[in-house]
Amino acid sequence: MPANRKYLTQSAWQRFAKISAGILGGFIVATAFHLALASCFSHVAVLITSTFSSFILWAVLLIVAFLAKNGWRIWLIYLIVTLLLATIIYYGNIFNTIES
Amino acid sequence: MAQRTYNILFNLHTVSGIVISVALYVIFFAGSFSFFRDEIVNWERNEGVISKKEIPLNLDSVIDSLSGNYQLYGRDISITKYYEERRVNVSLSASKDSLATDEAKVSQFFYLDPLTYNTYTYINSYSLGEFLYRLHFFAQIYYPIGYYLSGFVAFFFLFAIITGVLVHWKKIVSNFYIFRPWSKLKTIWTDAHTALGMIGLPFQFVYAVTGAFFMLKLLIVAPSVFAIYGGDQAKLYEDLEYADPTFPFENNKEDSVISLNGFIDQTKATWENFNVSEVKIYNFGDANMHVAINGELDKKTKFTAPGKVVYKAYTGEVISKKDPVAQSSYLDGVKNVMFRLHYGDYGGYALKVISFILGIISCFVIISGVMIWLVARDKKNIPEKKRIFYNRVARIYLAICLSMYPITALSFIAVKIAQPAGLEFIYWFYFLGWLLLTTFFILKMDNYFTNKSCLLLGSIFGFLIPLVNGFTTGNWMWKSFAAGQDQILFIDVFWLITASITLFASFKLKKKEAAN
Repeated sequence: MPANRKYLTQSAWQRFAKISAGILGGFIVATAFHLALASCFSHVAVLITSTFSSFILWAVLLIVAFLAKNGWRIWLIYLIVTLLLATIIYYGNIFNTIES
Repeated sequence: MAQRTYNILFNLHTVSGIVISVALYVIFFAGSFSFFRDEIVNWERNEGVISKKEIPLNLDSVIDSLSGNYQLYGRDISITKYYEERRVNVSLSASKDSLATDEAKVSQFFYLDPLTYNTYTYINSYSLGEFLYRLHFFAQIYYPIGYYLSGFVAFFFLFAIITGVLVHWKKIVSNFYIFRPWSKLKTIWTDAHTALGMIGLPFQFVYAVTGAFFMLKLLIVAPSVFAIYGGDQAKLYEDLEYADPTFPFENNKEDSVISLNGFIDQTKATWENFNVSEVKIYNFGDANMHVAINGELDKKTKFTAPGKVVYKAYTGEVISKKDPVAQSSYLDGVKNVMFRLHYGDYGGYALKVISFILGIISCFVIISGVMIWLVARDKKNIPEKKRIFYNRVARIYLAICLSMYPITALSFIAVKIAQPAGLEFIYWFYFLGWLLLTTFFILKMDNYFTNKSCLLLGSIFGFLIPLVNGFTTGNWMWKSFAAGQDQILFIDVFWLITASITLFASFKLKKKEAAN
């Protein structure tokens, strides 16, 4: 009983969008999420945690991308989230500078 | 779960699983043997270890023997014990003395036997244990392609685990108790896949995550360096406590030779059950010479307990200290746990054997997954052309995967007969043998035959392994048992048991027509 094809993505472009959003976009969001936490809180603790949590979050985001109805929309959502997280990283770095 | 979600997840699980299946099988099979990497190495060399946990050496006499071959002044010297082997790693940096000879300005790396003081290069110290260990992250493929390939296989394995659990979610409890071995083939494969998959789930999840981290850590490090550290990579490594201290070279040669054994004794006296795994000497012979003693408490005392003392050599002053007895930091905890969980080296042979069994179970989960994929597609309503294609794929997959067992067993015999085997021999023997077996089974076009003969051949070779070891070294099982060489004994006994089990399995195999 292979999966019923009528539920699967048929269009090649949609498939491309979902695969790229999942692998690339998922990775960017997962990384940005951890960096945002690292920029606001104890960066050492967050970074060492990310050694395992990053991969788990990335895998989950990869699945989410495939469950989306529209591949381009999930790309858009991932990009907006990344942008928000990037803003947090930017301000987080200003308020919590790492002393060397 | 909605029909759409279920079907999408099902498809993701199937596609990701079938794509990584062969690579993942190789990783799990070679990886399972890697739990016994050190045992295999010692068995192969017929060497007993002096101490499993720490550098078993008289540092002063090692330095004495090294100085006979190398000019040590101005170099950094590190002596490390990574594995439970007799040999230790020695690395010499280039001398920082500007007047040093050209020879002294070259860095060196080699292995040193602390009993005979013989040294070995990486190539002539290569062993089957090292080969299987490196095969499990595809290190034989051109660097860094093999590393990244295995890293992404681990990541997509994680993906397949999560989608697999979601697909199976509704029946996760009820189906766990279902096993219908006398039913049709498809049911057997499905039952085996889900039940064994569930048993191995925590194990596999841990290996997928840690494995992905080991091979893909650059994906974590690089963005952090740029986004948090403004490009200062050294600072990141310093924060994560990976940085090595540096001591400036004063270019002021001390005349007296100083004893370094005292530093080891002093460190071991500070903390009870402290095992020294690395000694690092900075600026050898210089007025600013420092000695760092690295190690950890015995696992039975404390799970995460890295300790370190740095001494200024000529004054004996303690420069810095990391106390292993004090409460360990979260950072040390994570760093330690990632490795310990993957290596399974904190619970003696019991844990290693259980890990090996779970690893082989994972191999079986992979194979049964491929078989489900095949059986589900081997139906009358599917076009003949496609069915031939699916059958061919499964046949090739099975031939590659299953022939790993006999060729691994045969390699154990080969390295004993061609002792010392070395890198080139092991490469040729293993890969060529594997290719020949695989080609033969592909051409034979009979999955039942492939399975049966792989188990049978592997068992025969497996039974021969302790015999060949006895004949070539004279170190028969009762002798290694009496001498307390448990690592050598372990490999012989391991093969006797493994071969018995697979021989039993091969006799139990009955040809079963796929009934749909």
